[in-house]
Amino acid sequence: MAALRTTRRVVQRARLAAFVERLCARDVCSRSPGEPEVKAAGISKPQFMDKEVQNILGRITGLNLEKVFKPMKQQLKPPQYKLLTDEQLDGARHEAMEVAKERLRMPPVLDEREAICDVLAEDKILAGLETAKYVFTDITYDMPHRERFIVVREPNGVLRKATWDERDRMIQVYFPRDGRRIIPPPIFQDENLLVVFAQERFEDILDLCLVQFEPNSADYIRVHHQTYEYIDKHNKYDLLRSTRHFGGLVWYLSNRMRIDGLLIDMIQRDLMDDAVSVVQLYHMLHPECQSANETNVQQAKGIELIKVFSHTDSKKGSYLELALQVYQEAISSSADQDAQRKEQN
Amino acid sequence: MVHLSLNLLKYYHRGFVCIRFALGGCTNRPFYKIVAAHNKRARDGKYLEQLGSYDPMPNIFNEKLVSLNLDRVKYWLGCGAQMTKPVSKLLGLSGFFPLHPMTVTGAERFHKEQALKAQAASQEEPTSVSEDEQPIA
Repeated sequence: MAALRTTRRVVQRARLAAFVERLCARDVCSRSPGEPEVKAAGISKPQFMDKEVQNILGRITGLNLEKVFKPMKQQLKPPQYKLLTDEQLDGARHEAMEVAKERLRMPPVLDEREAICDVLAEDKILAGLETAKYVFTDITYDMPHRERFIVVREPNGVLRKATWDERDRMIQVYFPRDGRRIIPPPIFQDENLLVVFAQERFEDILDLCLVQFEPNSADYIRVHHQTYEYIDKHNKYDLLRSTRHFGGLVWYLSNRMRIDGLLIDMIQRDLMDDAVSVVQLYHMLHPECQSANETNVQQAKGIELIKVFSHTDSKKGSYLELALQVYQEAISSSADQDAQRKEQN
Repeated sequence: MVHLSLNLLKYYHRGFVCIRFALGGCTNRPFYKIVAAHNKRARDGKYLEQLGSYDPMPNIFNEKLVSLNLDRVKYWLGCGAQMTKPVSKLLGLSGFFPLHPMTVTGAERFHKEQALKAQAASQEEPTSVSEDEQPIA
């Protein structure tokens, strides 16, 4: 009897997990992304979850296996040694890349959710009877958390729907999620964030933020924006490269037209293709800007694209041109050295 | 598990299913489970199903947390379960049921008492003021 009950629960949970995943995927795709301005109807603005945008961002993020699989705090297990043929080794490497891609899946970028202020009933008779509020949560198992009924009866007799903070707290009490705290830890306050930034632990704080908050909550957006601002101000783009947060960083900067620092950093690290992709993404997002028009006129590709951008729309045009010059000199000098060595040989 | 049919319960055992509070917690710290149980069972004894919980002590946000599995509550009500007064009052406060008449009556009595106290307090003030004046005069 008990075994039947447990198997029923297991099957229910599995079905629920699959159901919730499908619902999340559906809901994420139908939401609009986080952008500062809304375009007029008629021009379809590229969204964060578009295939092209995701391709570009995925390419830029890079796949540094050493960084993705860097040692994490885990239970101490003795290392496993396997004897593999070349083909099996390739297969294992391929699997590792698949797992790395799964870990690099970008979290969604959504607009901030609107506050709930729905009053269901006002019973003035109950005013003053109680000193504390009652929070009623519906704990029906087969229900997505977004549609759950969570109502609050205030001491003044008003029955209202719970605010987003109260909702998150109640759902965490009755349906706890691993790693999430009921009260957000004080590390997410502004003063403490500065300490974290000074220690340059952007990846850790963004991972914590992802676990603790919903993607469309005010706190999540605030923490992410502050992190991106700090990274942009201090040119620490490399710390987020090859993590799942890099796509969000690039999307944020491109929307606010501040990709100069990022481009300079990429050129200095010889990532020319990534830099070109970033400029292409910028043109996709702002099709009526000057550099986009110039590019269409001249049909520029590759380094030409970046040169056009540095002449027209960039704020640090001079620095960008300088970086490009240095890069081209480095290429030409290395080409000369190769030619000399070939002559000697 | 086999739920005894309503007729067997009603006519043979004179019993019925009840949705009520089962007390838990420890000294000076009550905690109630909202539970569907046969009415003849002990208050904290074997129950058919737990339908929720009620914490009467307010937390740091001054909230009393109540959880209700409304899907199952509807099932048991459909099966003919009875509710006790405190559970009915709680469901009335939540909005699932209309307000319990005793909640309204209790509120009216409370407000009447408050009005009487206020009146008594306001009547005491003039008399206390006049008492104060006498020694000076």
